[in-house]
Amino acid sequence: MMQEIVGLAPSGSMGSGYNLKAFERGLAADPHFIGQDAGTTDTGPYYHGTGLPFLPLATYRHDLSFMLRAARARRIPLLIGSALTSGCNASLAQAVELVHELAREDGMKFRMAVISAEVDKTDLKRRMAEAPLQSLGPDGALTPGTIDQCGPIVAQMGTEPFIRALDAGADVIIAGRACDDAIFAALPILRGFDKGLSLHCGKILECAGLSAIPYDLAEPLLGRVRHDHFEVEPCHTDHRCTTVSVAGHSLYERGDPCLQPGPGGINDLSDATFTQFDDRRVKVTGSRFVPDAVYRIKLEGAQRVGFRSIVMVGIRDPIMISQLDAILAEARTRSEDRFSASTGIHLNYRVYGRDAVMGALEPDRHLTSHEVGLMIDVVAPQQELATAVAMFVRGTLQHASYPGIVTTAGNMAYPFSPFGVPVGPAYRFAVYHLMPLTDPCEIFPMSIEEVNY
Amino acid sequence: MGKDTLSTLAKVIRSKNAGPFELTFDIMFDDVAKYEHVKRSGLISAARIAEAYRIRVDDVLVCRPYDAAVAFKITIKRPVGSGDIEDRDVYGCQQHVPLTRLELPGPYSFRASSPLTAAKGST
Repeated sequence: MMQEIVGLAPSGSMGSGYNLKAFERGLAADPHFIGQDAGTTDTGPYYHGTGLPFLPLATYRHDLSFMLRAARARRIPLLIGSALTSGCNASLAQAVELVHELAREDGMKFRMAVISAEVDKTDLKRRMAEAPLQSLGPDGALTPGTIDQCGPIVAQMGTEPFIRALDAGADVIIAGRACDDAIFAALPILRGFDKGLSLHCGKILECAGLSAIPYDLAEPLLGRVRHDHFEVEPCHTDHRCTTVSVAGHSLYERGDPCLQPGPGGINDLSDATFTQFDDRRVKVTGSRFVPDAVYRIKLEGAQRVGFRSIVMVGIRDPIMISQLDAILAEARTRSEDRFSASTGIHLNYRVYGRDAVMGALEPDRHLTSHEVGLMIDVVAPQQELATAVAMFVRGTLQHASYPGIVTTAGNMAYPFSPFGVPVGPAYRFAVYHLMPLTDPCEIFPMSIEEVNY
Repeated sequence: MGKDTLSTLAKVIRSKNAGPFELTFDIMFDDVAKYEHVKRSGLISAARIAEAYRIRVDDVLVCRPYDAAVAFKITIKRPVGSGDIEDRDVYGCQQHVPLTRLELPGPYSFRASSPLTAAKGST
């Protein structure tokens, strides 16, 4: 019987770089696999809506090159999930192409499994018609019309599609949207280790050095899943995992520290114990996976709500700043009047120096800055219209008159030319729902390819 | 003596998205005695959080201590989904300030402090 499965996580965010010296040290610990999370919803709906990766492809290529070469040199599996950012088919294909480029360069030979996570919209509408999907946030019922307005809709796969790929003898697994812990839990579960411990270890590995001190996403982390516990250790010899840093990570980016829902069940950490094994390693026991009666996965999709254009300016005049709200309100009124023939225009003033960051949650309501940054933010049904509105509001504010004005040559400072910036399509997360499956792999088709250069 | 605010006792007070529709806060300590003092004070309650952010108590989804991490966990419903038209903070990582100002009922005695160290055993 195997005593442990050792996993190596190069970084918490693919494309952002990682400490290569520490990565080498991690490899010296003889890991059984390398796992890397490459996606998120954290950067907002734009990336899910457009299907574009968060970073330039060259950054992913850089990060991928070291882990791919290391995995092939050691003959251990490389598992990558949520490639790239949203994990839709278009970005998955880009990731696969990067793998091919690197393999070609080095004359590599291996078996690659590619697992898709993009949901077929027709199939999704059929399933929705049978039983409404449970929302995890978006208000109102999810309609077929909303589905049509969304970019690619993806589902977060669990461990099962990864296990199927490992079973098929894959050396390299490139997966679309995936639950981040599943990337790291698949091999331990396949080898008979406890699912709760494997997933909890995976949850810590997916952020790499973020659960060590000092906190650093770009620091590789090792996880050793054993039969009654797991252990985590940073690869950087000056970094440490402590009971508090590891337990503290259970808080990060999730609503409840103890109950962590995922595909097919909840990982219950209520009885988890964290023990300092030595200066740099922490032992964890007691994580417990509780399966749901119905296997459900999370769907994610972003609906296009229009096109955004912005103008960013600075205001320094104290007389204008003291009357800013009235001046902004007047410009809004004039804009509504000028564009009264159009519908669906959202004009948002973001006043930096006052409440641009917190809005209604801001406790300090009064304006105190000697200068303010103003972003005129417009979302409209067409890009041209958004720019026209933003530029109209800009022009109105530029020459607005107000009681006591002394600066009659112009009211606002422009940091650069051009003034109006078309930002592109704007999205909102409209699909963030649970969908039941009868087979955990049924919507995650896998293709196997023999890469041979 | 004046009252202590949470920021004088806690080591970390942070906010972040927990998915696009929730905003979550972690209040972490480097000293168990300070953590226990805050916990005993009853300061961290759903009602106080709702008051600090001027939101409905029902929108405070989680509010609990977590001994293993010497920390409190608070999660609220996001006023606007991450990145939606009216959103202001896509990561949700700059929404913590009202928590730093929560006032403890009385001053904290530092004589009782017991700092966490790396050598500390199981929690």
